[in-house]
Amino acid sequence: MSAPETPYPSHQDRGFAHASEAEFARILDFYEVRWEYEPQVFPILWDLAGSVLESFAPDFYLPDIDLFVEMTTLQQRLVRKKNRKVRRLRELYPGIRIKLFYARDFRALMLKYGRSALVAELSGTVGQVGPRQEAEATLEASPDATIETSPVNGERRSRTARRRAGRKAAAHAAESPTS
Amino acid sequence: MKHSHDLHADVAEVLLSEDQIRAKVAELGQRITADYAGSEVTLVSVLKGSLPFMADLMRQIDLPLRIDLMEVSSYGGAAIESSGLVRILKDLSAPIDDRHVLLVEDIIDTGLTLNYLLRYLRGKNPRSIKVCSLLDKPARRLVEIPLDYVGFEIPDAFVVGYGLDYGEVYRNLRFVGVLRPEAYES
Repeated sequence: MSAPETPYPSHQDRGFAHASEAEFARILDFYEVRWEYEPQVFPILWDLAGSVLESFAPDFYLPDIDLFVEMTTLQQRLVRKKNRKVRRLRELYPGIRIKLFYARDFRALMLKYGRSALVAELSGTVGQVGPRQEAEATLEASPDATIETSPVNGERRSRTARRRAGRKAAAHAAESPTS
Repeated sequence: MKHSHDLHADVAEVLLSEDQIRAKVAELGQRITADYAGSEVTLVSVLKGSLPFMADLMRQIDLPLRIDLMEVSSYGGAAIESSGLVRILKDLSAPIDDRHVLLVEDIIDTGLTLNYLLRYLRGKNPRSIKVCSLLDKPARRLVEIPLDYVGFEIPDAFVVGYGLDYGEVYRNLRFVGVLRPEAYES
């Protein structure tokens, strides 16, 4: 097979927010599907003055098939928030193709590849720990706080922590034996 | 892997009976025969899951044809430890340049393997290349690829039988069934 025009990014090159994202990147690498990690931020909520109140950065973009993928292998109570963001994104940017990858999708993928024993390590609270969960739990409990605390900046701060935690979890999962 | 010695007992539900599969394969064979009338086609089967489907389908196609077999490593297998990339474990045994190729698959779910294989096979300059899959599980699709011939669109469940396995077991079931979660959950 001829080499692609753009080199495939390696999952080892990036700090992922969640271990499941690292595993997903590993799968894409394996099948030589090019991907970009959080390449674009879409504003999805503005105030009356036109300032961005909320934005959404899907986890992956697959340029060869023009598809964004958002992973939601978190707890169910946080999935509702992502569903809302994806719905809003589709309303505002109808030309964007995005697939929401739920925990059940991830489990099925792991089952297919005989890695079901790793699902617990790569999902939910084990796969992603740290400040983001606390921040999102707070926002979930108090929706008004989204506007008060400027979620764009808030999300960036927590994402750094997410990546740190995700790197640790991904490294741990990569060292684990396959089932 | 906790499969019992009674393979049938691990199946929660028969999704496609032997009779349903037989009838559908005959129907696909007729369509392929009509579409490729006057041409010679090379059927390429992807080991191991497609083997029963290939064996039955080729006998329902009333055309001069050749067959060939390929096998690629799957993510999560031994190959990932060494290279991290998909590998061709068994390549075609004859050239396909300027030939009509029909890729025969057991199931298409994410489309990742199919996407890889089509790119690989197109690099060998066939005259045409089409895809025939017995099963299509669109709920799991990541890479959208047009499928030329599809036997059955199936729901989002883990299925085994008629070539499809879990941990290399269940391929020899004559039907396609939904595997009980107890058979794969630890």
